[in-house]
Amino acid sequence: MPTLDRRTSLSIFQRMLMIRHFEEAVIALYKQGRFASHYHLYIGQEATGSAVLETLSEKDLICTTHRNHGHIIGRGCDPNRAMAEILGRASGFNGGRSGTLHICDHSHGFLSTSAVVGGCAGLATGAGFGLKVRREPHVAVGFFGDGALEEGLVSESFNIAALWKLPVVYVCENNSAGAMGPQQGGYPTAITATDSFVRLPAAYGIHCLKVDGTDIAAVYAAASAAGQRCRGGDGPVFIEAFTTRWPGSSPLWPELATVTDLNDAWDPARISGPHADWSRHHDPVLRVARELVAGGHASRDELMARDNEARMRIAAAANFAIDSPMPAPASVGDHVFA
Amino acid sequence: MSTSMQAASASSVQSLPAAEEALRLLRGMQFIRSFEEQVRNLSSGGVIPGLVHLCAGQEAVAVGVCSLLRADDMIASNHRGHGHCLAKGADVTRLAAEVLGRRTGYGLGRGGSLHMFDAANGNLGTTGIVGGGVPLAAGAALSAKRRGRGQVAVSFFGDGALNQGLLFEVLNMASIWRLPVLFVCENNGFGEFTAIEDVTAGPDPLARGLTFGIASETVDGMDVLAVRAAAQRALARARERGGPSFLVCNTYRFGGHHVGDKQDYKDDADAKAWRLKDPIERFGGWLQHCGMANASAIAALKTEVDEAVRAAIELAKAAPLPAADDLELHLHA
Amino acid sequence: MPSPRTATYRAAVLEALFGEMQRDESVIVMGEDIGAAGGVFKQTEGLFAQFGAERVIDTPISEAGAFGIAVGAAMTGQRPVFEVMFGDFITLVMDQLVNQAAKISYMSAGQFHVPLVLRTAVGIGGNLGPQHSQSLHAWAVHIPGLKVVMPSTPADAKGLMAAAIRDDGPVIFFEDRMLYNMRDAVPEGDYVVPIGSADIKRTGRDLTLIATGRMAHVALAAAELLAKDDISAEVIDPRSLVPLDLDTLVASVKRTSRAIVADGGYRQYGVTGEIAAIVTEHAFDWLDAPVLRVGAADVPIPFSKSLEPLVLPDARRLAREAAALVRGFR
Repeated sequence: MPTLDRRTSLSIFQRMLMIRHFEEAVIALYKQGRFASHYHLYIGQEATGSAVLETLSEKDLICTTHRNHGHIIGRGCDPNRAMAEILGRASGFNGGRSGTLHICDHSHGFLSTSAVVGGCAGLATGAGFGLKVRREPHVAVGFFGDGALEEGLVSESFNIAALWKLPVVYVCENNSAGAMGPQQGGYPTAITATDSFVRLPAAYGIHCLKVDGTDIAAVYAAASAAGQRCRGGDGPVFIEAFTTRWPGSSPLWPELATVTDLNDAWDPARISGPHADWSRHHDPVLRVARELVAGGHASRDELMARDNEARMRIAAAANFAIDSPMPAPASVGDHVFA
Repeated sequence: MSTSMQAASASSVQSLPAAEEALRLLRGMQFIRSFEEQVRNLSSGGVIPGLVHLCAGQEAVAVGVCSLLRADDMIASNHRGHGHCLAKGADVTRLAAEVLGRRTGYGLGRGGSLHMFDAANGNLGTTGIVGGGVPLAAGAALSAKRRGRGQVAVSFFGDGALNQGLLFEVLNMASIWRLPVLFVCENNGFGEFTAIEDVTAGPDPLARGLTFGIASETVDGMDVLAVRAAAQRALARARERGGPSFLVCNTYRFGGHHVGDKQDYKDDADAKAWRLKDPIERFGGWLQHCGMANASAIAALKTEVDEAVRAAIELAKAAPLPAADDLELHLHA
Repeated sequence: MPSPRTATYRAAVLEALFGEMQRDESVIVMGEDIGAAGGVFKQTEGLFAQFGAERVIDTPISEAGAFGIAVGAAMTGQRPVFEVMFGDFITLVMDQLVNQAAKISYMSAGQFHVPLVLRTAVGIGGNLGPQHSQSLHAWAVHIPGLKVVMPSTPADAKGLMAAAIRDDGPVIFFEDRMLYNMRDAVPEGDYVVPIGSADIKRTGRDLTLIATGRMAHVALAAAELLAKDDISAEVIDPRSLVPLDLDTLVASVKRTSRAIVADGGYRQYGVTGEIAAIVTEHAFDWLDAPVLRVGAADVPIPFSKSLEPLVLPDARRLAREAAALVRGFR
């Protein structure tokens, strides 16, 4: 069983806390009518993104999807500007033009964020191609969900990445476990004939790994190994990370039953409400908090302090966003062309 | 007798054709060969507009599969489709007329070699879009499943199509929905001028079908009996339990990608070795070995077929070209 | 006679689907989340319960492959109504649409037809951003072999969906999702609006506003504003873009001698250009001014609330342009 040292574990957990608070703040802002649009949250998947991002260097490149908030915040991008983007403000990363669906921060290695399912696989593969051509010892990471594997473009990307041994790490966040399915008014799961998603990249000879997406040590180990393999010129890697779907995403619009309380980590009897079972058994934030304390890496107080800090940082981001001006009408045509 | 013929006989003894059927198989392949040779001459002579993509060498696949199809089964072909069309019962005069751009052709002369449809024989058409016919065949299979009369559809495509995302999407759906469709990949080692190894990642093309739990087989595509036996298994599966199959038939095209292709990318020794596996020669040899035909009968068959094709082409050449009034016909239903 | 009860645009299309599926066994529905989930906009609600998985088929996120299957099914006896969830995603089905569906009747010299409907929800609104707000119908109308309709009212939506399904060739049905909740009179029962017939939504004398889809409502609102200003605007909704009811458009322009074409797609090289040109060709001697064009700004549709509303002209802006046209100012 892989284990992590104190510094790494806490660093990953810090990312997770920031993501969790950010996503909960997004729901609150939506309910206040501060922005419109469909939006997609990363609650329940924080461990995966955070642990992968922990292994990356500044120069590594990232492509993500409509479910990008976790990757953006986890990467350490400015939550002020991320929240501002979601609220459609001029100070947002994309000048308010993209909103929640396409947030990206070039200075932190994000290329373009596609909300067309599968699009990011093509972009990540291209990023990897660029890295290889320029002989840079970095990797391109593509984050996407299990649904993306249904798009032909993803298969074509796998073929080319494998053929040309491109330094791409494909991280497939399989959050279909626990999805209710359309018959029960929930999200459908993937519609696929394959009994295991890794068979798809494996058909191209791509090295595949499967991990529990809520186990930060396992995800970190897999991502590290993948990165090493890529940098060594051995070609792409596919990581399938499993998480149990956050029940708040069941209807088309995210619904928060209750704000995360870290005390629930060490006192699960407190957990109640419609999402109780998930919180008790599948919430990665609570799980990691528990493990950090049990493993002697941190005390409860220390984690509560970090939690509070993260909450305040995100509150500040929300205020920054709310106070930011909207884009000026005259700017509507900016950047259409280079 | 070659090893693979023996293997074919051993593995599918019950399904070996009787003499009459065997001669039909030979005739079917020879028909395609004669057609392709004469079309090649026409094309080199500048008589055919545009490009043609010939399948000489690959006849065993078209004939091996189509010989088992019913009249109401369907096929979708690709750019190298003359063989599929003929094997599925196309009238050779109308086919030639279409290739020559004559009004009596299957498409009023407006489609040409790359866009030939034959509804009466369940042929959903040739196409120049690599992989383009694959979903059409699957869609026909969906229809067939709804009708419940046991019809199947066959999709013919080349190794170049193995890397089309579209193929993946359709394989997945064919499997989930248990569509009665045969995916037949004619792997002739080249996608246009590029060798398959240079563009196809993965340990084995078969993995593409296996990924979706589809029954998949590699077949000696130069052996009409091997193809026929594999097709038999696949058809039984499709008709009885309604699921798809994926066949990778290893074959070779004796000509270039299109007529006029200098074929610089081919390895001479390799090409010679494949020539030795000529499906018509081999099957003729097998027939003689089994006593189903003698050398002179086989020669006579070739002469007769050559003449039949020649006559059809003459008829086609004599047909009128489409007129200006034909330009907009059938634009809408 | 149609009875005067009302329904929403969404419900009206659904009525047509129910009706046609009951009428004709070969009609099937395909798309993402359209089965048990009833569609992301609830636009197929109830179909799955009534007709089952064999006729209401949830596809994977494989638009190209799934649409290609719909084409093959249409060639061989089915009449699929295939949904592309957002109009922006027709990019993913373009090869099968343009190189197969549109051309199969022609290439096969009529041996095969492709009696399918591709329906897709387009339109700006709700801040869905650049990849979920486009209306790319200008691509579809450009391809010989495709028919294209764009209803603006619940009744038209019902009638055109029925007509589209009954048409033996490929018909693209562009519906504006911002109109889904619009409620208006819808005839009950069997109701068909012939493809290729425009509808004069409001008669007028001083200029003709030719407006498609949602812009028809913008034009009607503009006409109200203009009326206060003593300008009488005629509003025509073409309803079908291909085939276009040129006679109705030209007859109107000959009466009013001025026209503005308004459409929700990007303005550059858009549908408005074609309509303006063809109307001018036929009514040149009757025109007192060039035919003007109004469309979405030529920018990716921005997410922000301060920018998104700028992209499509509203009634006030349209009325201003119309008034300037009538008064001879530009």
